[in-house]
Amino acid sequence: MAQMELAGNTYEVDENGFMQETDLWSEDVARAYAAKENVSELTEEHWTALKYLRTYYLNNGICPMIRRLIKETGYNLRKLYDLFPEGPAQSACKWAGVPKPTGCV
Amino acid sequence: MKKPGLKLNDISRNAAEPLTEINLDELTPLPPPYDKIEEQPGFKRLTEDQAERLVHNLDGVVSTAALPEPQDKEEEEKYVGQFLSGMKKLLSKENNWTFLQPLLLSLDYCAQCQTCNDACPIYLASGRNDLYRPTYRSEVFRRLVEKYARPLGRLRARLSGDDIELNWATVSRLYELSYRCNLCRRCAQSCPMGVDNALLTRELRKLFSQELGWAPKELHEKGTVLQLAVGSPTGLRPDVAKDNLQFLDEDFSEATGLDIHTPWDKKGADVLLIHSAGDIISFPESPISFSVICNAAGISWTLSSEIGGYDGVNYGLFYDDVQLARVARCHAEIARDLGVKKIVMGECGHQHKAFMTVADRTLTGDLNIPRESSMTFLENIVFGGKIKFDPAKNDFPVTLHDPCNVVRNLGIVEPQRRILRYLCPQFREMTPHGVDNYCCGGGGGLSVMSDVNFTDWKVHVAGRMKFQQVLAAFADRPGPEVKKYLCAPCLNCKLQFRDIFEYYGVKEKSGIIAGGLAELIVNAMTGLKKPFISWEDPA
Repeated sequence: MAQMELAGNTYEVDENGFMQETDLWSEDVARAYAAKENVSELTEEHWTALKYLRTYYLNNGICPMIRRLIKETGYNLRKLYDLFPEGPAQSACKWAGVPKPTGCV
Repeated sequence: MKKPGLKLNDISRNAAEPLTEINLDELTPLPPPYDKIEEQPGFKRLTEDQAERLVHNLDGVVSTAALPEPQDKEEEEKYVGQFLSGMKKLLSKENNWTFLQPLLLSLDYCAQCQTCNDACPIYLASGRNDLYRPTYRSEVFRRLVEKYARPLGRLRARLSGDDIELNWATVSRLYELSYRCNLCRRCAQSCPMGVDNALLTRELRKLFSQELGWAPKELHEKGTVLQLAVGSPTGLRPDVAKDNLQFLDEDFSEATGLDIHTPWDKKGADVLLIHSAGDIISFPESPISFSVICNAAGISWTLSSEIGGYDGVNYGLFYDDVQLARVARCHAEIARDLGVKKIVMGECGHQHKAFMTVADRTLTGDLNIPRESSMTFLENIVFGGKIKFDPAKNDFPVTLHDPCNVVRNLGIVEPQRRILRYLCPQFREMTPHGVDNYCCGGGGGLSVMSDVNFTDWKVHVAGRMKFQQVLAAFADRPGPEVKKYLCAPCLNCKLQFRDIFEYYGVKEKSGIIAGGLAELIVNAMTGLKKPFISWEDPA
């Protein structure tokens, strides 16, 4: 298993850098991921999306559909890509500390 | 480094060194505006840490992080022994009820003419890299069978002078190499003797899975295992699936002005429709289109929210007979319990092949429920007269991708074309097409595999010939100002096109989007206030 250092701690991650133990996530972890993608500050808008993603995942065992994310946050896809450089699946899910979406998605 | 004239027994030498390396400038070139290598995303190399942890001795690509470096010689020898015992099982009728006969025929009858090589899109795209010849993998396997599983094999192999050693290098490379094939069977179609290299590849994968416990985690642990436990390899639970579709019913009703309602768990309905759950999540226009069409045509139909009932994928087809049978039976039992007259398979190619042919022998007695392709199902509706169409609404360039499992492997060629010729005034074929199509590059389970640098390989190499074909089909209207639609009636193909289009910026540079067949049908329906298909992102 690969490991990654985030905000001073070492975490188990998959080969794409997604956390494997979602319970260990903290806001500092999100900031550390963001810094790796050259986003130096997490704004209110970042947190709205990240918290929605994370709560939805914890309740449903899966990340929300993009359409749902857009509707719930009010941010369109372009806006989401502005906030999260690699997009909702590759960046936002990762920063929120939830596993990479798998299967035919 | 790429070696000119890779020899068969190179596979058993220097276990730590890759046999070849992918370099973008050696691949078959793409047409403008995609011809500048410096503008393409590069081919990711393994990090030092990954190179240390993960077996990467084939081509520097890693398809699955499930294969860690063995700790010692003893562990290596254990795997070699397991491979040997698995190989013998493949050749016995007690242990290989599914494919023994075609396996033996394909082992025995290759005339070494190499005709199949030029049929393989991966080999062609790679710049004719020897490692990817369909016959390379097969001939290594064939010689191992000859040497280790046939009478006097070792003696004859020694006398031949170029025998292949069954060792850790061979076993670990064959494992990776069995995931450098789309199982598209274009090679089998071109073979004058009927040898099926894709079948040999798939039997190798089966050996690794059923005997060594090696399979890409996207296919096994997070694939069939998750599907049987939770309901879907996506992790989509029954309650979440229903909740999502309810959300989509409302969302699309609002957007289209139609009253969209998707029925669930209706006992005694005529039709059980099984989508792929990935369509619900990633391409929701597809399941919603089916709901609109079935309701408008007055079909008695339902979806199922039983575990497995809302996800028709069956990754067992790609790597494991036992998992294949488990998933197929799960689907059939749900249909039996609902008392439906038939099962209609959504736009998913491998679901078609698994359910219509390969699993057929496991579905006996009351599980032998008629199964129909969505291609013929939709054709009957479109030409059935209950829905009014205005083909002028689809007046944009459309081309059709043939999913290998639906078209070449099942012969369902014309129904989807009759629909497109009727509803899409600017429909044009790719060259070649129909049963001669090229695979999208995601076939054989590859489209769901994305670990380490595998996506680089499947986009740049496996999907390359298809990408060229798509661009050529629209060469008369190349610019992004002309909105174009690539109809790909298969979820795995759509996922692969999504990756290709993202890599190269195809929507921005060429104005092409990929979607299914049902969406084009809805888009042509009269009474829709605004177009159903949009080239804009969802807002």
